[in-house]
Amino acid sequence: MITQAKQPEIDKRVVIDVDRCVECQSCAAACFVGHARMPAVGFARAGWALLPLICRQCKAPACVDACPAEAMVRDEAGIVRRRLFRCVGCGSCAQACPFGVISDSLGGTPGTTKSPGDLSGHQISKCDLCADRLAADSNAVPRCVGACPSGALRFVDERQAEADGLLIIGGRSAADHLYKRR
Amino acid sequence: MCSDTANQETQSRCTLCPAGCELLIRGPGAGGYQSEPPMVPGAGLCPRGLAIGELLDAPGRIRWATRRLDGRRQEIHLAEAARAIVAAAGDRDVIFFIDGALPCEQILAADAWCRTWPKAKLCVVLEPAERELLLGTEASGAAYLSDADLAGCDGFLIVGDAFAANPACSRGVFDRRAADARVAIVVIDPGGGSASKFATCRVAAPPGAELAAIAELARAAGVDSPPIAPPDGMDVRSARSAGLALAGCKRPAIILAAEYGRGGAWRQIGYLAGKLACALGGGVACQTTGANALAAVRLGPRLAAISLADALARQDAAWVTVGSDLLGMLGIGGREILAAGAAFANRSTEAAEFVMPAAIAMELGGMYLLGGERQVCLDAVGPPPAGVLAPADIIGLIARAAGAQLPAPTPAVGTLSRLVVAAPSISAGCATAAAASPVLMLGRQAADAGCGELTAHASWQSTIGRPPTVRLAPADARRIGVKDLDMVEVRAGKLHVSARVRISHALDAGAVVLPEALCEARAMCPLQVSSAGGDVVASPGTVNIEAANDYASQTA
Repeated sequence: MITQAKQPEIDKRVVIDVDRCVECQSCAAACFVGHARMPAVGFARAGWALLPLICRQCKAPACVDACPAEAMVRDEAGIVRRRLFRCVGCGSCAQACPFGVISDSLGGTPGTTKSPGDLSGHQISKCDLCADRLAADSNAVPRCVGACPSGALRFVDERQAEADGLLIIGGRSAADHLYKRR
Repeated sequence: MCSDTANQETQSRCTLCPAGCELLIRGPGAGGYQSEPPMVPGAGLCPRGLAIGELLDAPGRIRWATRRLDGRRQEIHLAEAARAIVAAAGDRDVIFFIDGALPCEQILAADAWCRTWPKAKLCVVLEPAERELLLGTEASGAAYLSDADLAGCDGFLIVGDAFAANPACSRGVFDRRAADARVAIVVIDPGGGSASKFATCRVAAPPGAELAAIAELARAAGVDSPPIAPPDGMDVRSARSAGLALAGCKRPAIILAAEYGRGGAWRQIGYLAGKLACALGGGVACQTTGANALAAVRLGPRLAAISLADALARQDAAWVTVGSDLLGMLGIGGREILAAGAAFANRSTEAAEFVMPAAIAMELGGMYLLGGERQVCLDAVGPPPAGVLAPADIIGLIARAAGAQLPAPTPAVGTLSRLVVAAPSISAGCATAAAASPVLMLGRQAADAGCGELTAHASWQSTIGRPPTVRLAPADARRIGVKDLDMVEVRAGKLHVSARVRISHALDAGAVVLPEALCEARAMCPLQVSSAGGDVVASPGTVNIEAANDYASQTA
C-alpha cells in the first residue's frame, strides 16, 4: 500500500470564470513575457469558447511522479514547479498530466523552448504561480491573473470561494494518487 | 520573472487604447525591458500593453537614418538626410503624415513647424473609420463613458468587437451582469467577434448594415430616428426586440468599435448611437486604436492640417510619414514615399527613399484623453535611444534644412473641449450592405494595435501571429471542405493570404474575417477617397477561399 507523508499545500489557486473570458489571451502573453518566453499558459477550444489552460497545482501531481529527472517537485510553499536545470525536456510530465496543461505546444504557442542563451537545451514549461511575485508581495497575484482585463481569472482561497459565491468545478487531481487506482 | 532583469521599475500607463491600463516597466537587465501587469487583480493589461516593454529596446528598432542606394540601405547622418530629403522634394509640396495617436504636444509642435515652411502640409493620420465615428459622437452631444462608468450602466449596446478593441471595457459589463443577471447586452457585429459570445440579443446584420440596425433598434426603443430600409440579410425582428430590451434602461451604455474595412457610414453610426444614448439617459464609449484619437480629433480646428482624403489626392506631392505606417494602414502598394520616420520597419519604410529613426509614443510624455474624455498628462517611460528623434523633431529637422525659421513656442494644450460639428445627414443611401459573397471583413484582435506595425515586433505577437487566423462560418467551412486549424488561401485578385481556419459559430455564412492588423488583409479592402466630402472609406472586399493542401502551406 502506498502511503504518503503530509505534503505542504498552497492556500490559493488560479480559477477561471468561464462567463467572463473574452479570449484576449492576455494571460498567455503575460506568462510568455514574464517567464523568459517559456509560457505555461496555453489555450484550447471548447465549442464556441477559447479558454486558457492553466496548471491546477494538483494535490497529487502526476507530473512529479512521472518526471525521471526529479525536475518536477512540490516546493516548501506547496507549489508544484519545475527545476530549470534538471529538466531534460523528455515530456514525461506532459504525458502524465491528466488535464493537458503541460504540453510542448500549448494552444499553438511553443511550450518546449530553448532557454534564451541556448545553454540548457530544451525544457518543458511549467506554471510556478509566479513565485517571484508572490514572494515579493503577499497581496500579489500571478501574472496571468494580474493581466486579465475582464476579471475572468482569479487567484482565490478555495476555502473562501463558497463564501464569495464562487462554485469551483473541476478538481485538483484525477484522484488522491493517480497510480493508486491501478 | 528572472531576477537579473528586475533592476529598475517604472510605473506607467499603456497608451495603445483609451483604457490607459497601468503597467510596470522593468529593466534594463540581461533580458532587456519588459512590461509587467499590475501586482494586484482588478486592472488588467492586454497583450498590446505587455508588448510595450520589449519594444523599448527591441533588436529591430531603427536607430540610424538610412537612404536607399542601388536597392540597399546605407547609413546617413541625420542632418545630411534632412538636406537630401529637401533636395529630393525639389519644387514639390511636402505632406507630413503624422500619427494621430501621439501626445497632443507632438501634434501641435509638428503643426508649428509646418506653418513656418510654406511648402509643408500636415496631415494627422487616424484610422479613417474611427475619425468618422468620433466626429459623429461629437456631433451627437452624448456623454463619454470610461471603463469604470460601465459597471453603473443598466444596459449595453455593443457595435463591432469592442471587447477585442479594449478588453478592459468588458469588466464593467460583466460586473453589472454579476449584479443583475437579466441586464441586456445587445451586440451588432457582422464579424462575429468575441463580444458576440456574451450577447443576450444578437442583431444579425450583414457588413455595412450597422446603421440600419441601430436605426431600427432606436425606433423600437421609442427614439426618433430616420427611416432606413433594412438591407437584405438584416434580421429586423432581432433589431426590434433589442430595441425593446434597451427601452426600459435608465442609463444604457453604447460601446462602439469602428473596424477597418466595414464600409462608410461611421459618422452617421456615431451620431445615431450618440443620439440614442442621449435619449435613453446613457452615454457612449468609443474604443479606438490608440488612446489619443479623440484628442487628435478635438485638436483638428487648431491645426492648419489637411484631411487624409485631400492628402491622398495630392499624388504630385512628396510624402513623408512620421510615426504612422500610412501604406500599411490603407493597404496601398506601389507608392513611393520620400521619407519615413518610424521606430520599426513597416510598409512605409520599405517604400521610402529615406528612413529616419523615430521615438514611440511611450517615450514621449504629454497630454492624453483617457477613459472617456479625462485629460491626463503622462510621463515618458524613459528617453528614446540615443540619436532617435521625436516625430515633431523629425519634421523640424527637415523644415530647418529647407530654411524654415524656428517657430514660436507652441501654446499649452489647454482644455480639449468638445467640437462643434454639424449633424451628418442620414439617408437610406447610407446603409450599403456588401452584396458579393464571400465578403471579407477585418476584425480587431487584442494582440495588436492598429495595423500592427508596432506590436508585431514583440516576441509573443511574432510567435502567435504567423500564420494568421481566418474566421469562417461553419457552413462555409463545410462547403470548402476544411476544419478547424486547417490552412486556407484567401485570395482577392492578385493578393493572397495563407491563414489558419478558426470556425466561428457567431459568424453568418458568407462572411470571412481576417485580423485587422494584417496589412495584406487591409489591401484586400477596396479604398475609396472622396476628396469633396473629405472621406476615406474602406469597404468589405470580395474574396475567394480555397483549402491549401500542399505541405509548404500546412507548415507555414
